[in-house]
Order: sequence, then C-alpha cells, then structure tokens
Amino acid sequence: MEHHPRPLRRLVIYALLALLMLFFIGPIIWFILLAIRPPGTAFTMPPVLFFEPTADAIRHTLVDPGANARQARNSLIVALGAVLLNLPFSVPAAYALSRYRMKSKKFIMLWYLGLLMAPPIAFLIPYFVLMTQIGLSGTYLSMILVLQTLIIPFSVWLMKSFIDEVPRELEEAARVDGAAWYVIMLRITLPLVRPGLIVTSMFAFVFAWNNAAFPLVLSSQQTATLPIGTLNYFASTGVTWSFIASAAVVAMVPPMLIFLVFDRYVVRGLTFGAVKG
Amino acid sequence: MAYLPYLLVAPSIILLLGLIAYPLVFALKNSFYFWNLQTSATPVGFVGFANYQMVLASPAFLNSLINTLVLTFSGTALEFAFGLAIALLLSTRLRGMSVARALLIMPTTIAPIVVGFLFRYMYDPQGGIITWLMASIGLDLPAQGILGSTNTALLAILIADVWQWTPFFAIILYAGLLSVPVSLLEAARLDGASAWVMFWRIKFPFVMRTALIILILRFMQLFNTFDLVLVLTRGGPGTSSRTLGYTLYQQGLIDFNIGMASATTWLVVIIVNAIVGLYIFFAFRKWEW
Amino acid sequence: MKMRSSGVSRRQVLKTTIGTTAGAAAYSLGLGGRAPAYAQGNATTIRVLSVEDPFFFALRDVIGDFTDQTGIDVELESLSYDAMQARLVTSFVSNTSDADVVTVDQMWTGQYIDNGWIRPLDEFAAGDADLDITDFMPEVLYSLNTWRGHLATLPVAAYAQGVMYRRSVADQLGLDIPDATGSWTWDAYTDTIAAMNGQNVNGTDMFGTVICGSQPTPIVHMFTQAAASYGARWFADFPASPEWDFTPTINSPEMMAAVDQYARLYDLSPPEAINYLWFDAGTRFSTGDIGMFYWWTPYFYLIKNNGYMTGEPSVVADDYGIAPLPVAGSTPQVISLGGWSFGIPSTTEKADAAWEFLKWSTSAATQKAMGLVDTYNYQFSDFARRSLYDDSDLTAIYPYLGTQAGMLAQGNGKIARPPAPVYTTLEGIMGLELNKVLIGQQTAEEALSTMDDLFLNTLRGNFLIPYSLPSFDDTPEATVELINRLA
Repeated sequence: MEHHPRPLRRLVIYALLALLMLFFIGPIIWFILLAIRPPGTAFTMPPVLFFEPTADAIRHTLVDPGANARQARNSLIVALGAVLLNLPFSVPAAYALSRYRMKSKKFIMLWYLGLLMAPPIAFLIPYFVLMTQIGLSGTYLSMILVLQTLIIPFSVWLMKSFIDEVPRELEEAARVDGAAWYVIMLRITLPLVRPGLIVTSMFAFVFAWNNAAFPLVLSSQQTATLPIGTLNYFASTGVTWSFIASAAVVAMVPPMLIFLVFDRYVVRGLTFGAVKG
Repeated sequence: MAYLPYLLVAPSIILLLGLIAYPLVFALKNSFYFWNLQTSATPVGFVGFANYQMVLASPAFLNSLINTLVLTFSGTALEFAFGLAIALLLSTRLRGMSVARALLIMPTTIAPIVVGFLFRYMYDPQGGIITWLMASIGLDLPAQGILGSTNTALLAILIADVWQWTPFFAIILYAGLLSVPVSLLEAARLDGASAWVMFWRIKFPFVMRTALIILILRFMQLFNTFDLVLVLTRGGPGTSSRTLGYTLYQQGLIDFNIGMASATTWLVVIIVNAIVGLYIFFAFRKWEW
Repeated sequence: MKMRSSGVSRRQVLKTTIGTTAGAAAYSLGLGGRAPAYAQGNATTIRVLSVEDPFFFALRDVIGDFTDQTGIDVELESLSYDAMQARLVTSFVSNTSDADVVTVDQMWTGQYIDNGWIRPLDEFAAGDADLDITDFMPEVLYSLNTWRGHLATLPVAAYAQGVMYRRSVADQLGLDIPDATGSWTWDAYTDTIAAMNGQNVNGTDMFGTVICGSQPTPIVHMFTQAAASYGARWFADFPASPEWDFTPTINSPEMMAAVDQYARLYDLSPPEAINYLWFDAGTRFSTGDIGMFYWWTPYFYLIKNNGYMTGEPSVVADDYGIAPLPVAGSTPQVISLGGWSFGIPSTTEKADAAWEFLKWSTSAATQKAMGLVDTYNYQFSDFARRSLYDDSDLTAIYPYLGTQAGMLAQGNGKIARPPAPVYTTLEGIMGLELNKVLIGQQTAEEALSTMDDLFLNTLRGNFLIPYSLPSFDDTPEATVELINRLA
C-alpha cells in the first residue's frame, strides 16, 4: 500500500521499532528471568544480567509441591470451557445481527456493549450467593458461566464484523435452492469466517484465562486458577518473588503461544465491523 | 420468518440477562438495606438512602472518583494515541514488521494481576529496573519510590495499564489501516496529496470507525480496574491512587459491608452509564448497523 | 450519617444478632451427642484451608505423621489472606463451606462464633486429656481463641512483637541495647535509632529503622503496638468490662504520643517504607542497611533468610540480636499478640476428625516437629505452648525463645487491636489517616480528630453505640477460668 521508504527513514523506523520492542517485550523477558534467577540477584543496583540459572522456583511451583500445576490445569479447563460455551450463544446471535433486518438491532448491539459497564468486583458476593443457590459454587461451571458476561458481548461484536465481510451473494444461491438458515450458516458462512471464529475464541480464551476476580470467590480449593495461585505467593508474612515469577510465567505462556501460533489471524478483520464502508 | 433473527439472539440475551440481572437486583435491593457481614450474617433492615448518603459523604469516594476519571480518560487517550502511532509504524511495509507485530501483542495477553506483579517488581525502589534506569539517566525520582509518592503512584498505575493495552490498540488500528482501500490512497497520491493530508483525510476517518468501539471497551474496563491497584499500591499513599474499583473491593471483600458496597455499585453503574450514554449518542450517530 | 433516623430499629438489630447468637449457643449445646464418629481404618479425608504463613510450610512437611497416627487423610490447601477471607465469609453466609478445618483470624473470631459459622470447641475440649490445654499460654488463648467465655479456635501459630537489631552496628557505634532481662523507654529506643541513622557501618549507609507504611492493615499492625505500649485504648470499655461501651477514645494524649512516635520512626526509615507491606519491612532488614526495628516475632527467624522460604541465609543471619520492646515511662507494657488459629466450620460433617486434626496440629509434639523442620533453614518458632520455650532441642535452633516467651507473657491482643464487630472498617479508617500523617497531608492532631469522628460514625451506624446486646466481661482471668474448667 505504501512505497518503500528511503534508507535513512528506514533506519529511523528500525530504531523506533527496536525501542518499542525493548519497551513492550523487555519487561516480559525480565520477569521470565526472575523465575530462574538465584534469589540474591533479584533486587540489585545495577541489575545483574548474567547469572547461573536455577530451576528451584519452577520446581517449587510445578513439581514439589507444585500447587500451580493443578491450577494451570484448572485454568485450562475454565478457559476452554468458556470458549466452548461461548460459541453456540454468540455465533447465532452475531449471524442474525449481521444477516437479518431487525428493528431493534442498534438497541441489541448497544445492550451487549452496555453489559461490560458493570463493575465485576462488585458482583463477586452476589455471584457467589447465586451460584450457591443453584448448587454450582466452587465448580468450574460457575466460573465458565459468569465469564460469559464478559465474553459473549465481545464475541458477538467481533463475530458480527467478520460475518459482515462475507458477501451475501455467496449465500443467495443456497437460499434460492431452499436451504434452511442453519444449513446456510453452518455450511457456507461459518467455514468462510473460520478466521473470525479463531480470533474470537482466542480473545475469549485469554479473557477467561486471565480473569482473577471471579475465581477469587467462585473457585474452591480444587478448582482455583492460576491468578489465584500467583496472588497466594503474595502472602502476609513473606513474598517469594521467584515463586510469583515462575507461577506468572506458567500463566503467561499459553496465551502468548496461542497468539504466536495463530498470529496470521489476529490482524485480519479485527475491525469490529467499522470498515464495511 | 420475521421472528427468526430474534430467536437466534434470544439464547445469548436470556443467558446474559440471567447472569447480570441477579447481581444488579441484589445490589439494588441491598443498597437500601443495612447489611454488614461483620455484624450480621443476614440483612438487618430497610434504611432508605442511608447507604448512598454514607458513600457520598465519605471523602474517599470523591477521591476515588477523581482518580478513576483521571486514570480512565488519560489511559484511554494515551493508549489510543500511542497505539495509532505504532499502527502507522507497522504499516510501513518493511522486512521484519510482521514479526514485530506478532511479538508486540504479547503484553495484552498477560493477566492484569500478573502485570501488577511485573511492575511492582520493576518499580521496586531498591532494585527495580525502572528505578535503576530512571536514576541512571539522571531523573529525579521521589525519595519514597515511584509507588510511594502521592505525585507518582497513580501515574505508575497508568503506565502499567498503558504498557499492557497500547499494543491492543496498535494491532486493531493497524487492522483498520490495512482496510483502507489502496485505490483511494493511489488516487490521492496522484492528486499530489501530502502524507499529512492523506493521513488526516483518508486513513484517520477509516481508523476512527474501528477506534470508536475499542475506545469505549477500554474505557469501561479501565473504569472498573482493580487488580493493578490491589497489587501495586492498595490505593495509597493516602488516597492518591485509590480507584472506585479498589473502593468497591475494600467495601465488599475487606469490610464486607454489603449495603455500602451495593450503593457504590449502583453509583458506579449510573456514572459509567451517563458517560457511555453520552459517548454512544455522539459517537455512533453515523454507525451503520 | 443519618442512619439512626432511618428504618432499622435497634430492636431489629438485636433480634437478628441475638437470634444467631442463640442459634450458635443452642447448636453448641446440642453437640453433646456429637457427629457420627469416623471409623478407624475407614479412609476419612478432611480438607484444611490454611493461610500461607510460615506455619503452613512447616505443617505441610509433618502432615504425614497425622495420617500415620489417625488414619485420616488431609487435603491441606493454602491461600493468601485476602483470598481466604473472601472465600470463607462468602461461603459461611451461604452455609456452604467445603472445608472441615478453617483458619480463623482473631479479629473475626467473635463474628464466626456469634453467627454460628464455626463450632465452639468447649464440648470437644472438656475433659479431653490429650489436649493438655493448660500448656497453652493463657495470654495467647485470651488474645486469639476465646469469645464470650467459649473456646472458639486453637492456636497453630502465636506471634508477639519484639525488637531486632544489628549487633555489629550497635557494637561499632558503641550503642547499648538491653538484653532479655533489661528494659528501655521508647525515647531511648528512638535515640539509639537516631544514632544509627545515616552512619556508614562497614561500607553500608545505614537507616536507623524501618516501618510499615502501607494501609490499611500493615501500618495498623505495627502502629498499634506503639499505641498499646503508650497506654492508648480504642474504646471506653471493651472487651474487659461487664458493660461494653464502644465510644471511641482515639483522640487521647496517649494515642497522640504514639502517632508522634510512629512519625519520628518513619523519619528515620527509608522513605519508600511508606508503601511497605508486612514482609517488606522484614525483607529490608535482612538486606543489611537497617539498624533496628520492631515487628511480629516470626521475623526473628524470617530475617535469617534472604527471601521468603528460600532457605538461603541473608547477610544479617549471624549478625542480629533480639531486644525487648520499649516502654513508655511507667506505663505497664502491653504487647500486641497475633497469629493464626484453626476452627471447625459448623457445616462440616467430619467434626470429630477435624477436632483430631486441631488437637494434633496444635499439640506440643507436632509444634516441636514443625520447629525442627529444616527444609527452609528452620522457619517456625511461633509456639503457643509454654513447654516448648524450655525445650533444649528448640532453644538450640532458636536461641531467642526465652525472650520471645517473655514477650508473649506481656501480650494482650484484645487491647492492642480490640476485636470489635466492625474491626476491619475501623482498621481501614485508622490505616488511611495514619498514612496521611506520614506523607505530610495532615497533622497528628487532625488525624486523631478525624479518626475519632469516623469511628464514632461507623460505630453508631452499625448500632454499636450505645451497645444494647449482652456484654461479656472478657478478661484474661476469664480465660484462665475457662482453661481450668476445660482442663
């Protein structure tokens, strides 16, 4: 779309880029290093760049006693569950909002958006009471359900924008042949918006994986997730930075891997339907 | 078939209503009741607007509101501005840009509570790398440390949030830039338009449409933020970094004063509603649904 | 605060609270029959919810012994205090605690018992010779474990507060610091700190002391020790009084002296201490640039390591001494007691197994075994049992135990941090106002007057002034009586 910049400009751009990488990626690497540092080198001025790495902290968090290994599994269950529950609810809604004429379309779209207004932290106690009343407190399902209040609205908006970009003409032929709406949606539209499904699921996964507020009261000893695990090392009598860091690394890696692996989908169509012009 | 689209939307709305109505009604009801778990396990009695009066009368509420507004508006604005600049940089199609872009999104994928720990570590007044860097370039840091000074505590939280969410803006605005039709740009170039004019007349309007949505998404998230505050400052020193999200946490999960926390919840919902309502009224006028 | 003119009558409050109290009492009385006993050999598993303080790590290492002895399996889980409290209170409110043994903060003991969330232990303890209840220090049981004349919990870790100082610094500067048998005043303590402050000792620039400045809890935990020492009291008459009166007495000369003292100590601290949480102060001392400070007694051993549960010695490991807390003139010393206790939730069906666990984990044998765990370089000496303070195996590892016992004996947790029903709210107020004094946003006078007003408002708003529920003359003597009755 643009002509290639001149060499000098190119140099400036690369320099800026290097700075950006340092600013945005440097801290992450610094935190990962904290997980494998000997504790004595964690807080020093000037910082210690070279040291003999130790796996003590990682062993403590993942193997012996390994409290975070189970939490990682729990996080995975909750996040995958949240993704799977989200799709059957948000995809048909997005499809309808994209493809059909609806009088209250604007209202519905804004209503979804408005759901994100409520302060999640204020809802912890009521959610706990609610989940107890329906017998779900402490279960994975309770967290998966409540997370939908954050995930579905976001997913509907995102999916709608992806579906908007699929030309209606592609569906017309099938419609003329008398195919039912669900056949059209499942057979024609959804395969075409596979990138959209992937991106939506990526964000849903990350929102669920990273949420700290809901598990604070909704999880039990058996279902606690990783953010609770990192918080636990921030105890009242002592703080073990290497444990925090190694639990944090466990918490950081899966979302990062997902974004790296599916990188090519991230940019395509991530415009929330703004550019159908 | 006129009802079909509504049928497709209904399950999600019913599920969400079921999940959101309960806490909202719970909070509404209990905001009019005296209920403090420190003194009674059950609501004690109807008290009218006493909880609201108590919340509004406490100086901490006004402080938190101001801090929240400062944090939310400046955070959203900075993330948008930096994000746009980075998006423009990424759109110069140089070798290595796609790798840079793929790496750049990483901060956004991290849990906010982990970001809190990361920055607490880096801000440490004795051995934090940020403290060290600032000192090495001769910056005059507050003696109490970045998180310990009333002048810098809120700023420190803001920086952590900007670090985490600028890439989110950058990637999405970059996607917006990609969608600008090449033909439009070519035509403008043939007309002799400067890069400046092309940006403001062609690219910016395109990008703005995408930005409308993520601006409001971020605004709402940031308004309710509490993880960062909990880990970084606990609202201190004084009330210099106390936000509404943290106040809610303190009232609800430290003091267990359900009545007051419920009143604060509704005040927050009303305030955010007013701001978001105004925003939607103006920003979405020309939106095509 | 217009609460009084509004819809709730005091009678309603009374009814609710007394109702739940009566319920709890009835529940405890009905316990005579006891829950069905677990069968030996029949695998019973109990869930224990602990807070992640040092005792947890020691307990985890010896927990196999419990299973060996009783055949009961234990799922021991730890949480941060915030997460644990959030989980516990919400689960109690909805009557769904999934734990069989829970960690109870002394500030919440009354609330847990009054609402029937945990079972009073009187029935279990009465006549149970294995418990050896007379070996517990009565000061600890009084401060941590009793409410309205009932035994509510048992102490698994008991903390007092005491002074830690650098021997080499004191020697080099020629400063006299009293030993276990001596005593000194807060003025002498502050002068000594001032003499250390700014000195270069063996190449290190020293700060005189370090405080905790972070609100709400850490600053209050440390400040209230000074306040108790100066003779300051929170309320007119609570808890040692036949007629409870929660009228705040915050705005007093004693409290003023304590605030001034605390502000002086902050001046002699690293400025960043304003943001310090509990552990930050101890961690800072263990890095070697602090002359002397006072804090909870677990720091007597925590500062030996260069981090929490790292097991690696710090630079001060062989270079620190323990000294008694200073006194304010002739005011009798009061030392703040804290720690952690285990209780049995009313919801558990395995109360007998839970009681076995309580008894075992707080027994002299187990506590000693915990003290001998060396996984992290011996990180547990918070004994509530008197006999362990003379145990030669333990004193060999923790040479300060004699001094620590003296500190516990002067302890009164219910004076230093009175467990009033809205304690955490009051703590939040106190923490914020003190914090503002340290950062220079207000004077000590302003802080105390604001605190007094806000205390009064909060206490009135929660129907605690005037107090119309039954009072209980909660004195250390009453606890001694309870111990004798149960023994």
